[in-house]
Amino acid sequence: MTKLYAWVDERVQLEDLVHFMGKKYVPVHRHSVWYYFGGITLFLFLIQVVTGILLLLYYKSGEELAFESIQFIMSKVQFGWLIRSIHSWAANLFILAAMVHMFSVFFERAYRKPRELTWLTGMLMLFLGLGFGFSGYLLPWNELAFFATKVGTDIAGVVPVIGKPIMIFLRGGEDVTGATLSRFFGFHVAVFPGIFTVLLGIHLLLVQRQGMSEPIGAESGAAATQTTMPFFPNFLLRDLLLWLIVLNILAILAVFFPWELGQKADPFAPAPAGILPEWYFLFMFQTLKMIPAHVWFIDGEVLGIVTFGIAGLLWMLVPFWDRKSARGEQNRTITYIGIFVVGYIIILTILGWLL
Amino acid sequence: MKQLAAISVLLVVCAGYSHGADECVKCHQLLGDKPTQLFKKDIHASKGISCADCHGGNPKSDDMERAMSKAAGFIGIPKGDAISEACAKCHADEATMKSFGSALPVNQWKFLQTSVHGKLAVTGKEHIAQCTTCHGAHGIVSAKNPASPVHPLHVVKTCATCHSNAVYMRSYNPSLPVDQMEKYRTSIHGMRNAKGDAKVAECASCHGAHDIRSAKDLKSKVYATNLPATCGSCHSNAEYMKEYGIPTDQLEKFSSSVHGIALLQKHDLGAPACNSCHGNHAATPPGVESISKVCGTCHALNADLFSASPHKRAFDDLLLPECETCHGNHEIVAATNELLGTAPEATCGRCHSEEDNAKGFQAAALMRLLADSLESDEQRAQRLVDEAEQKGMEISEAKYKLRDARQARLEARTMVHAFDSEKFSEVIGKGLAVASTVHGEAHAAVDEYYFRRFGLGIATLILSVLVVSLYLTIRRIEKKQQKATVL
Repeated sequence: MTKLYAWVDERVQLEDLVHFMGKKYVPVHRHSVWYYFGGITLFLFLIQVVTGILLLLYYKSGEELAFESIQFIMSKVQFGWLIRSIHSWAANLFILAAMVHMFSVFFERAYRKPRELTWLTGMLMLFLGLGFGFSGYLLPWNELAFFATKVGTDIAGVVPVIGKPIMIFLRGGEDVTGATLSRFFGFHVAVFPGIFTVLLGIHLLLVQRQGMSEPIGAESGAAATQTTMPFFPNFLLRDLLLWLIVLNILAILAVFFPWELGQKADPFAPAPAGILPEWYFLFMFQTLKMIPAHVWFIDGEVLGIVTFGIAGLLWMLVPFWDRKSARGEQNRTITYIGIFVVGYIIILTILGWLL
Repeated sequence: MKQLAAISVLLVVCAGYSHGADECVKCHQLLGDKPTQLFKKDIHASKGISCADCHGGNPKSDDMERAMSKAAGFIGIPKGDAISEACAKCHADEATMKSFGSALPVNQWKFLQTSVHGKLAVTGKEHIAQCTTCHGAHGIVSAKNPASPVHPLHVVKTCATCHSNAVYMRSYNPSLPVDQMEKYRTSIHGMRNAKGDAKVAECASCHGAHDIRSAKDLKSKVYATNLPATCGSCHSNAEYMKEYGIPTDQLEKFSSSVHGIALLQKHDLGAPACNSCHGNHAATPPGVESISKVCGTCHALNADLFSASPHKRAFDDLLLPECETCHGNHEIVAATNELLGTAPEATCGRCHSEEDNAKGFQAAALMRLLADSLESDEQRAQRLVDEAEQKGMEISEAKYKLRDARQARLEARTMVHAFDSEKFSEVIGKGLAVASTVHGEAHAAVDEYYFRRFGLGIATLILSVLVVSLYLTIRRIEKKQQKATVL
């Protein structure tokens, strides 16, 4: 083992890396638990990559093949059912973990200088994650996915000026067809993973370079009085422990609640009752349903979409307009905005399920 | 000139009669016109109804111009729809009818208007039939009177005046046949009717009198789902049918039969009604020799197999009606395996006894055994498929395949009619093979379900051991680090 280490070290200077990791410390405070969500999100992403590649070995894109190939994976391929169920469950847990990670960073103001770029890349990855979810949802070409995609792309088409071209670009035509399936497949397995990998690389590099952010006020204390823990092995082993627990949860979900396949999509069939998007789009969907058809002279749906667009942009640019936090001062307005947004998402999601 | 002379004579003659009596009758009798002669025997005349009650005018006046003046309400001879409207003035009014002591219904006019005769028109100027078309104009008598054109013994001829006239019917409904009367005369009903039996069915008995609708009309008495009740109105009436000595339970039996349930409960218009087997206008019971042809109209494959089977000759020799011998007639129930075999409730045993016909007896027993095997294997596979599905397993392919076993079972039920054990075994064998494959696949799916649970248990155990060991490792490392810091 020592010989092998020496052999590698001689060639790639492992000593430098070990030295760097040995000197890296993670702050310990009452909010430290939130640090782990970044790791959990990363772990779930890695699971997606591995299970996604395995599914790719059998999945066939195309109107006539997609549903049947998933059926084949679920019934004939050894452990195919497990891989597909884990891929579907991990996708949902990934979005959940990423959202928890994002909100914890928001409430901790960890986006403040000098971590604006880390926040920006993180937000872009979250949006890409939603894109992964939206595009992956259609790939089994089942009834629910077909109509959810139809509704989802319809909503995109409502955006003034650019909406219609975007909708046609997404669908590969006027309607959701096999062409839509082909390009969603392309986005899901090539375009999005490529961009995501670059963003993830930058994100991780920045985290390593800048270290973990500390809550406002903690930096002002004398270095000697601060509690820390070594990144290696303490934090990394804790990460690993959580990853194992998440893996166990995934296995239980996959075995006890295997992801259903439903009925094959039939473009000529009427839309079944109660079409709902994935849970992470539900709050937006419910909002659009609740907005009146016309607010003053503006179309209700347009108003909703534009408002979400602006709100999302403002949220993404928070490091640049929250000057107080950047100066290291407490900014209660940010906390109130955060609480409002979390409350809004939770309530509207519940309403979306119930109504 | 002739007209002028006639009017002059009429004026002179009329002037000679005293005032007070019906002046219309007096004058028109002298003219010798036929309607006036006929009207003497008319039921309306006997009730004191005068010419003026329908034609208007003043019957008290002997002055022709005054009597038939518009001022006196004279309308002349009503034309087209005005004829029925004139009749309806009294016949649709309950009080008027009562005043004449009539118990006739007052809805004939309403019914006529909703009927095919009152709704459709040939020329656009008037509807197809008026009251007078069937009842006549003058000389109308009660429908019960044998002299009436709508009396049961004459109504067929009355209807046929138009319905057997191809030229006339072409202008109204070219697709409607014009041979109903000819066919009717060949039927039991028609033959009895011709012999003077007024009780047997004639046109109005089935189609209605005033409320006649197209046979495609849901409300028609001869619409497929209404037809059994229409036939049953006579044939289920034991008192009415007493003199004919035929059973009166056909409707009851038919209603609970496979055909009756399909037609009357499921409203399947493809299912047979009475006329599908007995004919309609040419209604006659199928005889022993023709029954398989009647059933074979729909059950073609069964009929073909039977005709080629050894049973055909045997049944012919014994004068047994082919299909009916095993399946019955009006009471036909869905064919199940119980019909087959040697058990007391099975039909084969009625002819094939173990002592007298051992070969047939054994063949029947074998066929029943095979049919039962397929049914039970199919059910067993179905149960397992259901179980696997309930357990959330992907089993759609096996489920789809199971349809082939059902298909084979249905095929076997047809193949029975060949009465050939070998051919029957071949079809059953196909079904058994499918059922066995499906059973195997469903079994594997259920096993897989338990394997997954077991695998999960093992995986959870391994992961839990790893989690605990990792936790202990972290604690050990941190204790060591704390000690090092203290030192």
